[in-house]
Amino acid sequence: MADIVLTNVHKVYGHVVAVKDINLAIKDHEFVVLVGPSGCGKSTTLRMIAGLEEISGGTIAIGGRVVNHLQPKDRDIAMVFQNYALYQHMSVRDNLAFGLRNRRVPDTEIAAAITRAARILSIEPLLDRRPYQLSGGQQQRVALGRCIVRNPKVFLFDEPLSNLDAQLRAQMRLELKELRLRVPTTSIFVTHDQTEAMTLGDRIVVMKDGVVQQVGTPLELYRKPANRFVASFIGSPSMNFMTVNVTANGDYFSLTGPGWHFSLPARRFPDLGSRVGRSVCVGVRPQHIRLGAPVNDHQIAFNGTVMVTEQLGDEQLLAVRLDNSEIRIAGVDPDLILSTGSQIEAAVATDNLHFFDDDAGSVRPADRSVTPISEGMTT
Amino acid sequence: MRDIAVPPARASGFFSALAPRGKTVFFALAAIAVCLLFAFPVFWLVLTSLRPGTGVYYVHRGTEFTIDNFHEVLSQEIVVRALFNSLMISTLATVLSLGVTATSGYMLSRFKGPIPNTWFSLIYIFRCVPYVAWVLPLYFVTQQLYIFDTYWGLLLPHIAVHICFFSWIMKGFFDGIDPSMEYAAMIDGCSRWGAFWRVAMPAAVPGLTALAILCWLYTWNEFLFALILTAHETPIVTVVMAQFVHELGMEWHLMSATAVIALVPALVVTLFGQRYVIRGLRI
Repeated sequence: MADIVLTNVHKVYGHVVAVKDINLAIKDHEFVVLVGPSGCGKSTTLRMIAGLEEISGGTIAIGGRVVNHLQPKDRDIAMVFQNYALYQHMSVRDNLAFGLRNRRVPDTEIAAAITRAARILSIEPLLDRRPYQLSGGQQQRVALGRCIVRNPKVFLFDEPLSNLDAQLRAQMRLELKELRLRVPTTSIFVTHDQTEAMTLGDRIVVMKDGVVQQVGTPLELYRKPANRFVASFIGSPSMNFMTVNVTANGDYFSLTGPGWHFSLPARRFPDLGSRVGRSVCVGVRPQHIRLGAPVNDHQIAFNGTVMVTEQLGDEQLLAVRLDNSEIRIAGVDPDLILSTGSQIEAAVATDNLHFFDDDAGSVRPADRSVTPISEGMTT
Repeated sequence: MRDIAVPPARASGFFSALAPRGKTVFFALAAIAVCLLFAFPVFWLVLTSLRPGTGVYYVHRGTEFTIDNFHEVLSQEIVVRALFNSLMISTLATVLSLGVTATSGYMLSRFKGPIPNTWFSLIYIFRCVPYVAWVLPLYFVTQQLYIFDTYWGLLLPHIAVHICFFSWIMKGFFDGIDPSMEYAAMIDGCSRWGAFWRVAMPAAVPGLTALAILCWLYTWNEFLFALILTAHETPIVTVVMAQFVHELGMEWHLMSATAVIALVPALVVTLFGQRYVIRGLRI
C-alpha cells in the first residue's frame, strides 16, 4: 500500500506563502495530476513530497508513515524531472543501476531489473550510450527507466514532457498511459498543461497561488468547475465568460448582458434567486455553442458578428463579437465559409451554462468558496 | 503630395569600406601582430639563453650560440632546489586549494542562508584588498607562527588567495550544472554529500581541470609572496631567477636560461589544458 496523505501542508519562503494548507488523499495506484499556472505551488508541493523541500507545517504520509523528516532517499520514491536529470558522466546502463547500487542490490538483480525496464521502455539498444548521445524522447525514456528499476512506492513527475516538441509529447503521453498499466504505481504528475492533466490523471488537483482550487476527475472539473479560475483553466479553447444582470420576472429570471438577453425558469435555476438584483458571470464552453437558431425551449439564442475564423481542418474556431464583448465558438463545420463581419445566429443549451459570482476573476478556494452557483445547474 | 527623396543607404565606417574579404584579412593581420607582440619577448629570451655571457648585449648581431648557460644553471644546487620547491609548492597549493575551492564554490552556488552569505561577504572583502597589501602582514604572521621560509609559510597564503579568487569561478561552474542531477541522486539513495561527490563533482571535472591549471600556473609564476615569505631554506625559482641580478653585475644569459627552463613546465601545462583554461577564463 502506498497511499499518500497530505494534511494541512504549507510552505513559506520568508514572508511569501508558496503553498497554503493543502489537504489531499491519494489512493494506492492512483494517478493524480497537479495542474496550475507557473508559480501556483504545484512543483513545490511535489518537491515537499519528495523531501527536496522542507515543509513549513502539516504532515505528509506515504504508505501510512509520516515522512516529514525523512531524507529523500528514505522515502522510497522515484522522480522524473523536467530536464531529465540524467547523470551525464555515466552510461544509460549506469544511470539505471545507480539507485540500485546505492541500495547494495546484488549485481545479478540489478542486471535483471535493467533488462526488464529497458524492455518495457524499448531502450535496450541505448544502454551503452551516454545521455548526451540521446534525443529528448530517448532521454525521457531513460529517466522513466531509472524510476521503474527501483520499483518504488511512488512515482513523482515534475513536468516531464514540457521539454519535448508537441508531437513527441503526445506520443509520450500515450506511452505514460501504457506504462501505468504495466507498472501500476501511485503517481503524482505536475504540469501546467491542462491537456496532459485531462488525459493522464485519474484525478486532477487544480492549484492557483498556492491554494487548491478543486480536486476531481477530469470530467468533474470539465463539467462542474468549482470556480471561474478552474472553468477557464480546464478546456481548450478556454471557456467564454460574460457578465449579466439578474432580475426576477415572475417564474423566470431575466439575464441581461452586452448583446445578450435571455430568461431562465426559476424552477430549474433556484440558486439564481439569491443573485437577483446583482450581476453574475455566465460561462459557456466554446464547444457547447452551435451555429443556427434554437431548436427547443431549452436553448437560448444570441446574434453576433464574426471577427476572426481559424481553420483547423476538422473544425473551425470563430471569434464572435457580441456588442462590446467577444466569445469563441468551436466545432464549426470546416466547410462553412464565413467572412469577417458576417452576422451569425448561435444557440446554447441552458444546461451548458455555468454561473459564477461576478468577482472580476478573483478566485476562491474550493473548500470555502461561494459557490458555484453552477452546481446542480449544469446537469 | 510631394515625394521626399530618400538618399540610398550608404555604407559607412572603416570595415564597410574594405573589400569583401578585407575584413577577414584585416583581422588575421591584427591577430598575427598581437601574437608577435607576445611571442617576441619569449623568442628574445630563448635567443639570449643560447648566447654566451659576453654576447647578450648584441644578441641581434651575434652568431655564436651555446647551451653552456643551461649546464651552468643546472649545476647550481640552488636552482635545482628552487625548481623542485616551485614544483612542489605549485602542485600542493593546487591540490589543497581545489579541495577547499570546490566545496566553497558548491556551497556558494547551491545554498542560501547566513553561512553562505557570510562566506561570500568574506571572500568579497578579501578580494577587495589589494594583493600587495597582504604581503607585509603575512610576513609577520609567518614569523609568529614559525613557518617563515617553509613550505607551509608559502602554501597557506597561496591557498588563501586561491580560495578567494577561484571560489567565484567554481561557483560559476556549479551554476552551470543542473541541480536536478543532484536531486535525482538524493532520491536515488545518496546523501547531500554523496550527491555532491558522486554527481556534481564528476560533472564539474572540466571546470576543476581549468582551475587546476590556472592555479598551478599562478603559483608557479608568483613572485611577490615568494620573495617576501621565503629565504635560503626554501628557494623558489622566480626569486632565484631574479638573484642573477646582483651587486657584481647582471647575468642575463643565466637568468634567461633559468627562465627558459622554468618556462617548459608552464608551457606543457598550458598546452595540455589550453581548452579547459579558455573555458575557465570565459566564466
